[in-house]
Amino acid sequence: MGLIRLIVFGYAGLTIIYFVISIYSRSVRREKLENWWAEENPGSDDMQARAAYVEKGLEEYRNGIRRKLILLVYVIPTAIVIGTLIAVNWN
Amino acid sequence: MWKKIKLGLIVLAFILVGGVLDYVLPRHDIVRVTSTEVIRMDFTRFNRLFFAQADSGTREYATRDVRLINTVRKKTWLFGFIRRDAEGVMVYRNEDTGWIWPPYFKFDSSDLQAEAAALVSTADNPKWAVLTNYGWRNRFFTIYPNAIAIREVSGPDVRIIPWFNIFFFIFLGVAWLFIRAMWRQFRERTVDPALASAGEKWDEVDERASAARGRFSRWLGTWRGKPRR
Repeated sequence: MGLIRLIVFGYAGLTIIYFVISIYSRSVRREKLENWWAEENPGSDDMQARAAYVEKGLEEYRNGIRRKLILLVYVIPTAIVIGTLIAVNWN
Repeated sequence: MWKKIKLGLIVLAFILVGGVLDYVLPRHDIVRVTSTEVIRMDFTRFNRLFFAQADSGTREYATRDVRLINTVRKKTWLFGFIRRDAEGVMVYRNEDTGWIWPPYFKFDSSDLQAEAAALVSTADNPKWAVLTNYGWRNRFFTIYPNAIAIREVSGPDVRIIPWFNIFFFIFLGVAWLFIRAMWRQFRERTVDPALASAGEKWDEVDERASAARGRFSRWLGTWRGKPRR
């Protein structure tokens, strides 16, 4: 029973953390893309081109490795729990 | 007044968080086991909080047996950072923490009891051991720290490096900085633009209102305070 409770609540909590980090990471990426656009096109007012540039960058981000690294939010705690389990109960 | 209340709340939060960490984080005591025993405990609602649960896989009743490890312990100051020559008795409980709290995932209480029993020694011919434990000892409520692991060491002067606690506090600091960065990003990108657009709306409404007013009232209006933004 205790194990089931740990799994359900543990992964529920990690899912919340996962989503918060994804939103944050996306937001940081969007800001960076906007800054790069401003650097490459100084003084440009072409909002459509800017939006297209940012959209393209975010599409690359969606398929990139950085976004997949956020899955470590699930992997690391699971590894720590298993590691602790072995370290504490091993004779 | 508010400042004092705020300061009081911050101090209270520090005491609470510090207390929980002091209770839950592992400690390494240098002990000489003198005996092991089992006593029956009839918990009250209060001291029940400071015990884990019945052995993993068994049924929980209001009353149960608790394994104890009786030791002579080297005394320390400042959370074990400063060693002393003095010795004193210390009693540890030995319970499964199971799957939930605190997250030690300990299921081997019986084995630990056997290991402790194997290390029983006398003052003339002492066998020193490092006993990892968490929790508090309190005589008035009969609560004991919970033993997690025991290992024999050559002497009482062994050097102990609390790796877990070091990494734990580093992790805590990193997590705090990360949360702060996230909060700042959220404010910069989401809250501030929303506030700015709300402010623009307000200015528009204000302009229309003053245009609708007559010249005289506009002139009067120059004498009045402006609405706050």
